[in-house]
Amino acid sequence: MTNHWIDIRNADVILIMGSNAAENHPISFKWVTEAKQRGATLLSVDPRFTRTSAKADIFAPLRSGSDIPFIGGMINYILQNNLQHNDYVRLYTNGPFLVNKDFKMPGELDGIFSGYDAQKRKYDKKAWAYQKGGDGVILQDPTMQDPYCVFQLLKKHYSRYDPDTVSAITGTPKDLLEKVYQAYGATGKPDKVATIMYAMGWTQHTVGTQNIRAMAIVQLLLGNIGRAGGGVNALRGESNVQGSTDHCLLFHILPGYLKTPKASQPTLKAYNDKYTPKTSEPLSANWWGNYPKYSVSLLKAHYGENGTRENDFGYSWLPKLDDGQNASWLMIFHEMLQGKFKGFFAWGQNPTCSGSNAGKVRRALAKLDWMVNVNLFDNETGSFWRGPGVNSADIKTEVFFLPCCASMEKEGSITNSGRWAQWRYKAQEPSGQSMPDSEIINDLFYRVKSLYENEGGTYPDPVVKLDWNYGPKDADGKVTQVDTHMIAKEINGYFLEDKEVKGKLYRKGTLVPSFAFLQTDGSTSSGNWLYCNSYTEKGNMMARRSQEDPTGVGLYPEWSWCWPVNRRIIYNRASVDEFGKPWDPARPVIQWNGTKWVGDVPDGGWPPLKNPDGTANPKSKKAFIMKPVGVAHIFGPGRNDGPFPEHYEPLECPIQENPLSKAHRINPTAKLFYEEGKTPEDIFYSCDIRYPFVATTYRLTEHWQTGVLTRHQPWLLEMMPQVFVEMSKELAADLGIKNGEKVKVTSGRGELWAIATVTSRFKPFKVMGSTVHQVGLPWCFGWQFPVDGSGGDSANLLTPTIGDANTMIPETKAFMVNVEKI
Amino acid sequence: MSKAVLIDLTRCIGCRGCQIACKEWNERKARRTSFHGDYTNPTALNSDCYTHIRFHEQEKNGVPVWSFVKNQCLHCKEPACVSVCPVTALKKTEAGPVVYRYDRCIGCRYCMVACPFHIPKYEWESALPWVQKCSFCSERIKDGMIPACIKVCPTGTMFYEEYDKVVAEAKNRLNRSPAKYVKHIYGLEEAGGTSWMYISGVPFEDLGFKMNIPVAPLPDLTWEYVSHVLPLFGITFVAGLGAWVITRRHANMNKEG
Amino acid sequence: MNDTKEIKMMTPFTMVLLLAMALGFVVAIYRLVNGLGAATNLNDDFPWGLWIGFDLLGGVAMAAGGFIIAGTVYLLNWKKYKPIVRPAVLTAFLGYLMAVISLFFDLGQPHRIWHPAFMWQYHSVMWIVAMHVMFYTTTLAVEFSPMVFERLKMHGLLKFINGIMMGVVLFGVMLSVLHQSSLGALYLIVAEKLSPLWYNSLIPYFFLVSAVAMGLNMVSLESIISSKAFKHKPHMDILQGLARGSIITLGLYLIMKVIYLLQGPGFAAIFNGSMEANLYLLEVGGGVVVPLVLLLGTNVKQGVNGLLTVNILVVAGVLLNRMNIAVFGLYGYGKSMGGSYFPSVMEFLLTLAIVALGIFLFKVAAKYLALFPEAEMQT
Ligand SMILES: Nc1nc2c(c(=O)[nH]1)N[C@H]1C(S)=C(S)[C@@H](COP(=O)(O)OP(=O)(O)OC[C@H]3O[C@@H](n4cnc5c(=O)[nH]c(N)nc54)[C@H](O)[C@@H]3O)O[C@H]1N2
Ligand SMILES: Nc1nc2c(c(=O)[nH]1)N[C@H]1C(S)=C(S)[C@@H](COP(=O)(O)OP(=O)(O)OC[C@H]3O[C@@H](n4cnc5c(=O)[nH]c(N)nc54)[C@H](O)[C@@H]3O)O[C@H]1N2
Ligand code: SF4
Ligand code: SF4
Ligand code: SF4
Ligand code: SF4
Ligand code: SF4
Ligand SMILES: [Mo]
Repeated sequence: MTNHWIDIRNADVILIMGSNAAENHPISFKWVTEAKQRGATLLSVDPRFTRTSAKADIFAPLRSGSDIPFIGGMINYILQNNLQHNDYVRLYTNGPFLVNKDFKMPGELDGIFSGYDAQKRKYDKKAWAYQKGGDGVILQDPTMQDPYCVFQLLKKHYSRYDPDTVSAITGTPKDLLEKVYQAYGATGKPDKVATIMYAMGWTQHTVGTQNIRAMAIVQLLLGNIGRAGGGVNALRGESNVQGSTDHCLLFHILPGYLKTPKASQPTLKAYNDKYTPKTSEPLSANWWGNYPKYSVSLLKAHYGENGTRENDFGYSWLPKLDDGQNASWLMIFHEMLQGKFKGFFAWGQNPTCSGSNAGKVRRALAKLDWMVNVNLFDNETGSFWRGPGVNSADIKTEVFFLPCCASMEKEGSITNSGRWAQWRYKAQEPSGQSMPDSEIINDLFYRVKSLYENEGGTYPDPVVKLDWNYGPKDADGKVTQVDTHMIAKEINGYFLEDKEVKGKLYRKGTLVPSFAFLQTDGSTSSGNWLYCNSYTEKGNMMARRSQEDPTGVGLYPEWSWCWPVNRRIIYNRASVDEFGKPWDPARPVIQWNGTKWVGDVPDGGWPPLKNPDGTANPKSKKAFIMKPVGVAHIFGPGRNDGPFPEHYEPLECPIQENPLSKAHRINPTAKLFYEEGKTPEDIFYSCDIRYPFVATTYRLTEHWQTGVLTRHQPWLLEMMPQVFVEMSKELAADLGIKNGEKVKVTSGRGELWAIATVTSRFKPFKVMGSTVHQVGLPWCFGWQFPVDGSGGDSANLLTPTIGDANTMIPETKAFMVNVEKI
Repeated sequence: MSKAVLIDLTRCIGCRGCQIACKEWNERKARRTSFHGDYTNPTALNSDCYTHIRFHEQEKNGVPVWSFVKNQCLHCKEPACVSVCPVTALKKTEAGPVVYRYDRCIGCRYCMVACPFHIPKYEWESALPWVQKCSFCSERIKDGMIPACIKVCPTGTMFYEEYDKVVAEAKNRLNRSPAKYVKHIYGLEEAGGTSWMYISGVPFEDLGFKMNIPVAPLPDLTWEYVSHVLPLFGITFVAGLGAWVITRRHANMNKEG
Repeated sequence: MNDTKEIKMMTPFTMVLLLAMALGFVVAIYRLVNGLGAATNLNDDFPWGLWIGFDLLGGVAMAAGGFIIAGTVYLLNWKKYKPIVRPAVLTAFLGYLMAVISLFFDLGQPHRIWHPAFMWQYHSVMWIVAMHVMFYTTTLAVEFSPMVFERLKMHGLLKFINGIMMGVVLFGVMLSVLHQSSLGALYLIVAEKLSPLWYNSLIPYFFLVSAVAMGLNMVSLESIISSKAFKHKPHMDILQGLARGSIITLGLYLIMKVIYLLQGPGFAAIFNGSMEANLYLLEVGGGVVVPLVLLLGTNVKQGVNGLLTVNILVVAGVLLNRMNIAVFGLYGYGKSMGGSYFPSVMEFLLTLAIVALGIFLFKVAAKYLALFPEAEMQT
C-alpha cells in the first residue's frame, strides 16, 4: 500500500477491483464503511458478485483476465473527456517526457512494442528510451502536445480501447463501463480523490504487473497518488507478507529490495555500480543513489567483523544467481519434478494445495530424497505420500516434521499492508515440543555450521562467517535462546565504530537513528535499510501505541512504526502543488509552512518546487524520489512486457484470438512451461470444446488459505464445510445442474468434485459476440481434513503452471474448465 | 436505563465474525453441516448457535442483491417467552437482556412455541436439555463490556447504546439518508417493541423478517384471559354454590311436602 | 355384587394392553435415558407434538365428564345421573393421570415437575395449567377415594370424605372450567403462528365448550362400552339425557365455530383444499355437524348403537381439534421455518401405552371397586 488501512476512510471514490476486500480483508471495511458514511461511492468490479459487491454502489462484472481492457478503457475515457489532473501530470509524472521517435506501439506492430525478440520472448528495452538533450537531460514538452511525449503516446495507445472493443473483450455491458469510468474519472479534480483496493484478482495473471501499472496510470492521471484517500493499495495477504517481502522472501531480492547479486557481478563494486542508478535530471533526489550505503550495511549485518573492506565486506559469500536464472516458486517445483532437487524445506507453507497445478507439485515432491515440513500441523504437504491416488510404497522421499509454534506463542513484529511494523507479544507458552521458527533456525544454523567446521564442504564460508548475535550465548559461543529484540535491533542497524555524522558523534554500539545515517565504509550495519529507524536509542518504535492523530487525517504517527522513516503515505510530496499547498486543503497530508513541511513525514525535507513569488526553487527535489527521473512512470520503461500495459489473454482463454492483436494472444514475454512431448503436466487448452468455461479461484472469509489453520476449526468448518463451484443459473440450466448437487470440475490438469452453487451472482458474459460462461471455486479445501474427505480437495488441481512475465506469480485467476453432472 | 442495539443492515458485510464470536464467548459446539448451495450455515439457529447470518439472494432489474441478516433474540420489551414461562426461568432484566435461568427451567418449551421470532432453541440431543438463546451477553454487560458479537464486528453494523439513544439514532439515520433505507424500524413496534432493532436498505419482507407480528405486546393477548381467571373462578363458585343451595332446598322442600 | 367381580382379568385384550404398556415402559426408560430428541421427532420448529396434542390436551378434554357429572349430581342434585358419577370421576382421574404422565415425559426436566408449585408466574397460562393439574388431580383423587375406602372398609374416612364431597366437587368444577379453557388459552399467544381456522381470541371458551361436549360423550361412550363389556344393561334414560346435553353443547359450539369462521378467515378458507382446511372440515363435519344431525334425527337417540356412533364421532372430533391446534394448525408455520414433524414410533408407543394403562386401570377398578354400584343393584 502506498497509503494505509485507516486512510481508506478519506476517499471520495473507492474502486475494489481484483480483490474481494469485504471477504478477505474484512477489517478494511471498517474504513470503507466510514468513507461511505461520509458519502463516498464504492465501485466493485469482479467476475462475480461478492460480499464486496453487495455493498457497492455500482457493480460491474468482467470476464476473468480482462482487466487491462477495462482499465485501458478507463484511461481512454479520462483522456477523451479531459478529466485528468493536468498540473499533477505535468509536475509529477513523465507525461511531458519525449520518447524516441522510432518507438512503436502494439497498435502499429500488431500487439507488441518495439524491440521484441520472438526467439527469446524478450524485449530489448533500449527501444523504449527517452529523447535526451546534449547534457543527458530528458527532453520534455510541458504542454504535453508533442506527438512523441508520453501523454500523447498514452492517448494514442489507449484510443484503441474504445467502449465497444472493451465491452466485447471484458463482457461488461457498456452502460456499466461508462458508469464506473464516470464515477472514477470524476476524481481528477484537485479536491477529489479516489483509491483502489486490489489484491490477487489483479496480480495472479500473466499480465499481473501490468494490471497494476494500468491502475497506477489512472491514479497518476487523476492526481490521486500521495494524497490522503488515494494511492495504489495492494491489500496484502498473509498477515506478515509485507514484512516477508521487505525482508526478501523472494529469490530476486535481498532485504530492503536490494537486488540479489548475479554471478556476473563478481565484486561489490560491480554489483553496486550495476544497481546504483545515475541521473542527469537536475531536480531528482534519486534516492537509490544511496544503494552502496544500504548494501554495505547489509553485508555488515550479515558478516560483522568477518566482513572487511578488503574482502568486500563478505560480498563473495552472498549466493549469486546465474544470469537470466529464474528461481521463482513455479520453477522450484518444475525443476523438482525433473529431479533437480534432493531436498526441500516446506517452511510454513502447504504447496500441495496452494501451489498452482497442485497435482504437479504433489508428483514433484515424490522425486525428492527428503523433505522437512516445518509447520504447526501436519498438512497435505507433509502427508503427500499418503494422499489420494498415491501408493506410499512407491514414494522414496523421507519426510521430517518439525513442529513450530503459532504466532501467539512467540514475540516479534509483523508488517501489515500499510507498511506498519507492529510489535506483538507472546500470549501463551508454546505447546508440546513446538519451537518458535527462529529457534528452529538457530538450532539448524549451529548444526550446519558445526558440520562445515568439522567435516568441511564445498564452500563453508557463507555459513561459518555469519555473524550470529541473536541472544545470550553459552560457553561454546552458541546462542542459547533467540531474543527477537536483538534481531529487530540488527535489522535497524548499529554504529560499528564511533562515527560523526552531520556534525554529531555517534558512539560505537548505538543504534542508527535512520537510514540517512548509513555509511558505505562499513562503519554502520543495517539488516534492512528500509527498517532503519524502527528500533532506535529511543526504543522499540514498533511497540508504540499512541492514539494521537495530530493531522486529523488518521495518520496516527505514533502508533507502531511505518517504513520508510515512519512515513504513513508515501509520495506525499505529490499531495501538494508547486508551492507546497495541498491540492485539497481539507485533507492535507503535508504542507509547506514557509520554512518546513508539517504533517506526515515528507518524502525528503527539500522545499517546494516554487518559491512564494513563483520562481523556481533550485533546492527543491521532485516528488517521486525513488525514481531516477524524479517523477512517476506513466510510461514504464522498466517492465518486461512493455512500457504501457497492453491486453493479452490468459494462457487459457475462451477466444480464438486476441481482439486487439491477431498475432499475440498471450503475453509474449511470459515464460512458457509446456514443451511438446516433454511436460504433459503443463499442457494447456484455449478455446477447446473440452474445457469451455472460464474459471477462477478465490478465498472465503471463513477459511484461511489452504485451510490448514481453519479446516480443523469446527466453527469455521461448520460455516463453510465443502468445496463448491459457483455458476450462473443460465449455465446450470444448460448443464441440467441443480443447486446443491455434487458435480465434477475438470481442467487439462486435473479434476475434483464440488457442490454446485447456482446463483444469480454469476452471469454469462457476451464476449466477442458469443456467450461465455464463467465459474469460480474457493481453493481452501484439501483431502486431509476433514478426515472423511467430506471437504473435497484443492481447486489448484485445476490451475496451470504459468506466471506473470515480471514476477512469476502463478495465473490462478483465469483458466478453462469443464463442469459435469455426476 | 436499559441497553438496546440497532442493527444497520446496510453496513453488514456478512463476514460472520459475530457468529463465531458468539460461539466463542458462549462456548458453543459446532455441528456437522454440508454445503447446500447457499452461504447460510447453519441454516437455522440451534441450541449451539445463538446468532447466525442469513444470506438472502435476490435479483432486482437483473442486478443481484445480496443481503446479510444477523439473526438473534430481539430481547423484546415485553417478551412473549418471559410471559409464558411457568417457572420464571426467563426474565427481562432491567439492563435490557432477556435472560434464562437454568436452575428453574422445567423444559416445557412453551417459550419456543410462544416466541414470535422463533428464537429459543432446545438441546434435543441431550438427556436433560436446556433452552438456549442469545443472552445479549448479559454477563459481559454486567462486567462493563459490550456483547461479544458487537465487539468483533468490523463495520459497526451494530449500534449499542441506551434504548432511547438507539431509537433516536435509527430515526436519525432514516431521516438523514431517506434514499438509502426503507422507511421502517423493525422492532420499534413489532411485538410491542424490542431491544434489538433493525434498519435496512432492502424491504424487510424480502429478508425473511416476519411482517405479521402484532404491534401490541404479545403477552397482552393472554393477559386478557389471565385477568379473567379469578372472576371466572368466582363466578363458577357462586354459580355452583347457588345451584347447590337451590337444589338442596328444593329437595328438602319435596321431602317435607 | 358378583358380576363385576366376575370380570376376567386375563383376557387376550388385557394381554394386548399389558404388551402395549410393556412397550411403553421400555420407551419411557429410553426417553428418560436418552432424552427427548432421541425418542421423539420433536425439533426446534415443532417443539410440541403428539404428546401435548393428544395425550395432554386430549386427555384433559376426555376428563371433562368428571366435573360435569359430579357437578350435575352433587351440585344440581340431579340424582338420575348418580349411577355414572363413579365411572365419570374415574375416567376423569385417568384422563388426568394420562395427561400428567405424558407431561412428565414431555418435560425436558421431568424431575422438576414440581417447580411451578414454588416458582410462581401467574402471567403464564402454563403455570395456571400446571397448578390446575396439580389441584384437580388431587381433587379427583378425593372424589374417587370413597370407592377405595369402601373397599378397604375404612368407614371413618369414607364418612369424612362424603361429608366434604360437596365442597370438593364445587372446587373441582371451578378448577375444571378454568382448566379446560386454560388449555385453549395456551394458544392465545401464537396469534400469527396458528392457522386462523383455529386461532381466535375466544379459543379458551372453544376449548371449554368442546370439552363439555367431549365429557358428555365420553361418559356416554364409557357407559355403553362397559355395559357391553361387563354385560349389564345400559341406562337408556341417562344416555338420552347425555345426548340432549350433547345437542345443546354441540349446537352452541357449532354456532361459535361458524361465527368465528366468518369473522376470521371466511367461509372459503375451509374449502381451499389445503391440509388445514381438510382437517378442519373433518373435525367440524365429522365431529360436530354429523353427530348433531344424527342426534336431531329421531331414532338415533333410541338405540345404543346410534348413540355409540355419535359418541365416537364427537370424541374423535374433539381429539382431532386438539391435534389440529397443537400440531396441524401450527404446521404451516413450522414448515415455513424449514421444519417438519411426524410423530416417531416411540411417541406413538408411549401414547398407546398411556391409553392402554387408562383402560387397564379402568378395568381393574371395575373389577375390584364398586364402580357401578347401581348397575349391580339392578341385576
Ligand atoms: N479470509 C481470508 N482472508 C484472506 C486470505 C484467506 O485465505 N482467507 N488470504 C490472504 C492472502 S494470502 C491474500 S494474497 C489476500 C487475497 O485477497 P483477494 O485478492 O481479495 O483474494 P481472492 O479471493 O483470491 O481474489 C479476489 C477476487 O478476485 C476476483 N477475480 C478473479 N479473477 C479476476 C480477474 O481476472 N479480474 C478481477 N478484477 N478480479 C478477479 C475473484 O472473483 C475474487 O473475488 O487475502 C488475504 N486474506
Ligand atoms: N488457486 C489459487 N492458489 C493460490 C492463490 C489463489 O488465489 N488461488 N493464492 C496464492 C497466495 S496469494 C498465497 S499467499 C499462497 C499461500 O500458500 P501457502 O502459504 O502454501 O498456504 P497456507 O495455507 O497459508 O500455508 C501456510 C502454512 O503455514 C503454517 N503456519 C502457520 N503459522 C506458522 C508459523 O508461525 N510458522 C510456521 N513454520 N508455519 C506456520 C500453516 O499451518 C500452514 O500450513 O497460496 C497461493 N495459491
Ligand atoms: S487480520 Fe484478522 S482482524 Fe484483520 S481482517 Fe484479517 S482476520 Fe480480520
Ligand atoms: S425474541 Fe423471542 S426469545 Fe427473544 S425476548 Fe422476544 S420472545 Fe423472548
Ligand atoms: S422451557 Fe423452560 S424456559 Fe421455556 S417456558 Fe418452559 S420452563 Fe420456561
Ligand atoms: S449478544 Fe452475545 S449471546 Fe447474543 S448474539 Fe451477541 S454474542 Fe451471542
Ligand atoms: S460481524 Fe458485523 S459485518 Fe460481520 S457478519 Fe456480523 S454483523 Fe455483519
Ligand atoms: Mo497471498
